[in-house]
Amino acid sequence: MNAIFWEISKRNIRLHMLRSSLAMLGIVIGVVAIVSMGILGNGMVMLVSDSLSSVGDSVIVMPYAGGGGMGMGGGGRTADLMLTEQNFQQIKRVVAPNLAVPVHSTSERMNVGVNSDDIIATVYGLPPDDVPDMLQLEAGSYNNQDSGCLVGTTFAKDHNVKVGSRISIGSDGQYGTLRVTGIIEERGMSFDISTDSAVVVTDKWFENTYDVNGQYDEVVVKVTNGDTATVKTTIEKQLNRNIKEKTVTVIDSKATLETIYETFGTITTFVSAIGGISMIVAGVSIFNIMMMSVNERVKEIGIMRSIGTRKRGVMTMFIYEAGIIGVCGSIAGGVLAVLAGYGISALMLQTTEYLVTVSNAITIFQGVAFGIVVCLACGIYPAWKAANLNPIDAIRHE
Amino acid sequence: MAGTMEPVIRFADVSKVYPLRAGDVTALSHVSFEVERGEFIAIMGPSGSGKSTLLNLMGCLDTPTSGDIFISGIRIQDMTDDELTDLRRDRIGFIFQYFNLFPLLNIIENVNFPQMMKAGEVVDETKAVEVLKSVHLEESLHTHTPLELSGGQQQRVAIARALINDPDILLCDEPTGNLDTKTGASIMNLMTELNKRGSTIIIVTHDPTIAAYTQRTIRIVDGRIA
Repeated sequence: MNAIFWEISKRNIRLHMLRSSLAMLGIVIGVVAIVSMGILGNGMVMLVSDSLSSVGDSVIVMPYAGGGGMGMGGGGRTADLMLTEQNFQQIKRVVAPNLAVPVHSTSERMNVGVNSDDIIATVYGLPPDDVPDMLQLEAGSYNNQDSGCLVGTTFAKDHNVKVGSRISIGSDGQYGTLRVTGIIEERGMSFDISTDSAVVVTDKWFENTYDVNGQYDEVVVKVTNGDTATVKTTIEKQLNRNIKEKTVTVIDSKATLETIYETFGTITTFVSAIGGISMIVAGVSIFNIMMMSVNERVKEIGIMRSIGTRKRGVMTMFIYEAGIIGVCGSIAGGVLAVLAGYGISALMLQTTEYLVTVSNAITIFQGVAFGIVVCLACGIYPAWKAANLNPIDAIRHE
Repeated sequence: MAGTMEPVIRFADVSKVYPLRAGDVTALSHVSFEVERGEFIAIMGPSGSGKSTLLNLMGCLDTPTSGDIFISGIRIQDMTDDELTDLRRDRIGFIFQYFNLFPLLNIIENVNFPQMMKAGEVVDETKAVEVLKSVHLEESLHTHTPLELSGGQQQRVAIARALINDPDILLCDEPTGNLDTKTGASIMNLMTELNKRGSTIIIVTHDPTIAAYTQRTIRIVDGRIA
């Protein structure tokens, strides 16, 4: 279109700089609100994703507790709420060739070194042969003996535990002392076992110490082909044949992860939508100043039309004006949103490592594009109105 | 299309009726006249006689209720809005009582505006400078904005803008109505000069001294040519 309309639009914005700046400020606030909320949401998803993705190929089988739920690790021990050796063997058979690992767990008092304070931590009992398939070590070696144990990385840091340290289990070491053979790599939150602040012992030591031979808190199935849904269904079919009296609760970690991601996605959309309200308010402000601009320039529009400007030319002029406000406001908003996203992430997530990501780049692009689209959309009616003024009436307008 | 001897304006039994809630108002009734190329005409009449309606119809800003209007041989009825706009841009130059220059543009840009509408792009200043010279506006004022100029200077710029696309007709609505007597006279002298150079000029006025500059006067009374 004709460059003269672009020039007129720019000059009109300059002429009414305060008014235009305030309209831009509205768009800036709208874009910052939407994008920073989006960045926060993306950060939350990635934070959770990093913590949980390592267990995305597991199916967890727990004793049926009547109402379902994820009572992972620790807690009291009731024979009714334990999986039996028979249950385990059934699970092992139906999930083959996938690995089924029986898990013992309890909370226990313990001490590290001499005269140290009591610590309460979770103790897991796992078959030593299966441990390398479930846990990775950051130091030391896997433990094959009943006198040894592994500890989680957080546990090691918090209590200054190193490979070779000794941990007395039970009040006053009543269950004996174990030597730390390895430190387990950080796993974050998990559906199967949460080892970061825990101690992992052999299943044999656990059964002998707590007298729980053939009773398991849960069975973790590591699904090699990723089809966790089929494994879940197979286990349920086999072990919950009696619908009235179910034996097990089966958790598909992958499906649960997806639900969590969806939930975070919904939360992100929701908070972004709240930010979107400020964008709508900004849009109303743009609409308002564009209508003011049209009303102030009715006579000018009449003159333009009478000396040979087509309706499309008049419309273009006002769309340019809305577009300039939209582009400037949105880009400024996008830049400020990165800073706001940095601040919010640092404040709420305690980390900014998820700031420079593709999803955030997309969020920023979408926010900026949305700001521009809102401005253009809010400029269309005033522009249309200007273009369709009757030139005769417009020229006479005072 | 226009023939070589075709009048620049031909009204054939033109009527214009405005339908209002209180009843139809006939602004023009069965008006017929012709304007030949190179004429200098005044249209006079009392308030409400239909002068403005006639000007709007001649300027293709409105279309008649009945009858035919031809501008340079082109019948304007049934033309689309874009076609009428292009006709105004290419064949008609408007000069208004209040100058009506664009305050955001400088003098050269104001004069060039219709040319840019025609070209669809920025055009060079050569022709605008030439036209401004022909209306006797000092070159030092070319980069000023309209509000920095006197009334007489603004009207000269408006005349230059009207001339930039070499129109067939100059339509003037009280061109001296907002000027003092001396400046008004200088503008009318300029009009006379332009007419002598070949421009067809139609001036709507109620001032007999302005009409005295023209070759012919069309008088309108109650929507009819008297």
